[in-house]
Amino acid sequence: MKEQERHNLAYGVAGLLILAFSVWTFNLLFSIQSNWAESNDVTAMDKDVHALFDPWRNLNRPGNDVLENYEVAAQQRALRRYLQEYRQARGRLDVHSPSQVDLGDYYRGMDTAAQEVETLARRVLELAEERESLRNAGADPVLISAAETEAATTMARMDQAFQSGLDIIAGMDQILDQRLLDLDAARRAGVGSLYLIVIVALFSSALSLVLLRRTSAQGEALRSGSERLNAIVNNVLDGIVTVDEHGKIESLNRTAEEMFGCSSDSVVGRNFRRLIQPESRPLYDAADFQSGSQAPGSVSEFTGMRGDGSEFSMELEGTRIKMDGRPIIIHIVRDVTERKRSQKRLQLAATVFENTSEGIMITDRSGRIQSTNPAFTAITGFTATEVLGQNPRILQSGMQTRDFYEGMWQSIESTGHWQGEIINRRKNGEAYTQWLNINSVRDDSGRVSHYVGVTFDISELKASERMKDEFIATVSHELRTPLTSIHGSLSLLDSGVAAKSPEKSAELVRIAKDNSQRLVRLIDDILSIAKIESEKMKFHLRPIDLGELLLDAVEANREYAKQYGVSIEVSPGAPDARVLGDKDRLIQVLTNLLSNAVKHSPEGGVIGLETVRNDGYWRVSVTDNGPGIPASFRGEIFKKFAQADASDRRKRGGTGLGLSISKAIIDRLGGRIGFDSQPGVRTRFYFDLPMMQPHWGVEKGAERIVTSAGLAAPAE
Amino acid sequence: MHGDHLNRILYVEDDADIRKIVSMSLEMVGDYTVAACGSCADALEVVDDFAPDLLLLDVMMPDVDGPATLRELRKRESTADTPAVFITAKVQAGDMAHYRRLGVFDVIVKPFDPMVLSDRVGQIWQQYRSGGHDVAG
Repeated sequence: MKEQERHNLAYGVAGLLILAFSVWTFNLLFSIQSNWAESNDVTAMDKDVHALFDPWRNLNRPGNDVLENYEVAAQQRALRRYLQEYRQARGRLDVHSPSQVDLGDYYRGMDTAAQEVETLARRVLELAEERESLRNAGADPVLISAAETEAATTMARMDQAFQSGLDIIAGMDQILDQRLLDLDAARRAGVGSLYLIVIVALFSSALSLVLLRRTSAQGEALRSGSERLNAIVNNVLDGIVTVDEHGKIESLNRTAEEMFGCSSDSVVGRNFRRLIQPESRPLYDAADFQSGSQAPGSVSEFTGMRGDGSEFSMELEGTRIKMDGRPIIIHIVRDVTERKRSQKRLQLAATVFENTSEGIMITDRSGRIQSTNPAFTAITGFTATEVLGQNPRILQSGMQTRDFYEGMWQSIESTGHWQGEIINRRKNGEAYTQWLNINSVRDDSGRVSHYVGVTFDISELKASERMKDEFIATVSHELRTPLTSIHGSLSLLDSGVAAKSPEKSAELVRIAKDNSQRLVRLIDDILSIAKIESEKMKFHLRPIDLGELLLDAVEANREYAKQYGVSIEVSPGAPDARVLGDKDRLIQVLTNLLSNAVKHSPEGGVIGLETVRNDGYWRVSVTDNGPGIPASFRGEIFKKFAQADASDRRKRGGTGLGLSISKAIIDRLGGRIGFDSQPGVRTRFYFDLPMMQPHWGVEKGAERIVTSAGLAAPAE
Repeated sequence: MHGDHLNRILYVEDDADIRKIVSMSLEMVGDYTVAACGSCADALEVVDDFAPDLLLLDVMMPDVDGPATLRELRKRESTADTPAVFITAKVQAGDMAHYRRLGVFDVIVKPFDPMVLSDRVGQIWQQYRSGGHDVAG
């Protein structure tokens, strides 16, 4: 409020000046007035002094003629008359008593002179009478002459007194004239000042009028300006809160009141932090609006708290300004709850768009591609920029008919929707099958604005379906073949056509029996592989001593080997060869490997079985000296129903599933299976399993049951 | 061309047991003369000497399947026009038209009854002789 102090000071000084000016003016007027009075007085006095001159000059002073003509009586009368006139004039002077002129001395001198002249004039007249009497008496001429001499002397002295009286009157006149001149000058000066005062007063009045007009106009302007500002501040959609340098709220506009759900009265004077949700307050403190260090226009987000304790997202701007010489902070507050919510929604939609595994393509009404997502790129190989503005036709494989596309568009136009399988072409030219779902998007006016295509690549699904179909076809063929044999041989036996030939009958019985057994094996193996593949096979994991396992496997297959005239030899293994595994499954694997080796060994052949260390794994190998595996068949050997040649299957009676089951089991146990073969020399199949680690800590007798899906490497 | 009566059948089938049953059925029930071969190679070895009236081929065989065997046999003068019948477990929509294009006269579907197999083969032969085509198995 320094401005105000300056204003007050100016008003004070102006008041003092006006007061001094008034005093001066008053004095001036007073002095002019007294000047006038005195001037009149002095003028009247001067007139009276001048009036005194006439009787004084006419004052009858008896001279020589009195002695010569003896006119004493006339002279005495004249003297009395003129003395009377003088005294009248002199008496008028006494009524004047001008303050500034003291003529007292002159009056006294004048009175003395008049007295002396009268006295001397009377003596002259006395002497004239005395001389006459003497002369009439004829007195001694000496006496007459003495009287005449004395009369002459007195006459001279009387003239002297008269002259001094005249000088006194002249002196008074001069003093009065001077005084009049002085008064006149003083009056002139006073009137001059008066003119100046009038001019100054007029000018001041004019100035005051102008200033007053301006000030009132400014006042009016200020008043209406502040009303306008208030109206604006109260009607803006942003909340405006002013805060002092200590954070105390000084004012808030209507929007801010509504936003924070509280009236100005209840929060003015309180700290602005109270309007911020407690957890958000440290953030507000850190923003340090009070220091004014914020960049102008910078916006921060906080959680605001309403009067009823509810919360909302707000955006806060703080501008520090100086007003009346002290800093205040103007906070502009926006409720961004709705904006944040829609932002979040958009963000979620964008995240889904970016991260979904379905390819999404958005085209405009005319089918020009406007937007695609990363999954679209992953599926088609086309980047978003490559297809921007293009027609989706670039994906066509040429494997759909014109009718297909016509049907698609008919459906989109009539129902706004189409879905189905379609074969498209990737950027690299590869055809792929996708499931495509097209929807039209309408704008507010109901017109189609966009088309959205959502697609996923089902080529793998298709491939696996195809594989499944093939597997089923193969399985049904594999099952039908022995069934055909069984059915056929039994029908022939039943019909009696073979009855004449015992050999043929026996042959038919053998065929039915063999194929029944084969059917059982097939079904077992197919069930095994289905269980492994559908990840339903349970593995009972426990520590297994490979030495014991190998002996058990040999025991189980010894009889079978004997039928083929083949023997099995187990090399003494490492005593500590232990793995975590399922014993029954591992026996199944070893049986598969051993029976393959037996079937392919020449009669009298020897199969070797051993366990060796192999870089953190135990390797179990089965070696035979059969014909080996043809190079062409090596890539197929672990595939289902793979057998080097068909006659092989008949001769050896296998199902073609053993190795693929073995591989699946070993894979599930975290191991690996393989072979090496030198045709005609030896063939060795092996599997590696991770060495049992002490910290796998399976307690004695405990076992873990793990489905075939859940085991890659043994976990703790 | 052979006579009006069906007598000699060249039969190719990889499964030994089925080969035996079909051979017995054709020989004992139908009284035909059968050359049963385990593979295309076996068939090509005997076909010229055997000079069959009818070819009976299994479709699914490893290495050289039924259609390929038929193509090989068509290259031989003795069987260039011999009517061919496929035996298969697998007949799906479209398969028949495909087999026709290959020059197959008819198809017998597994599993078959060995007691009616000979009659079935005889019927097919009669149709062939009358110049008709029967698609049904």
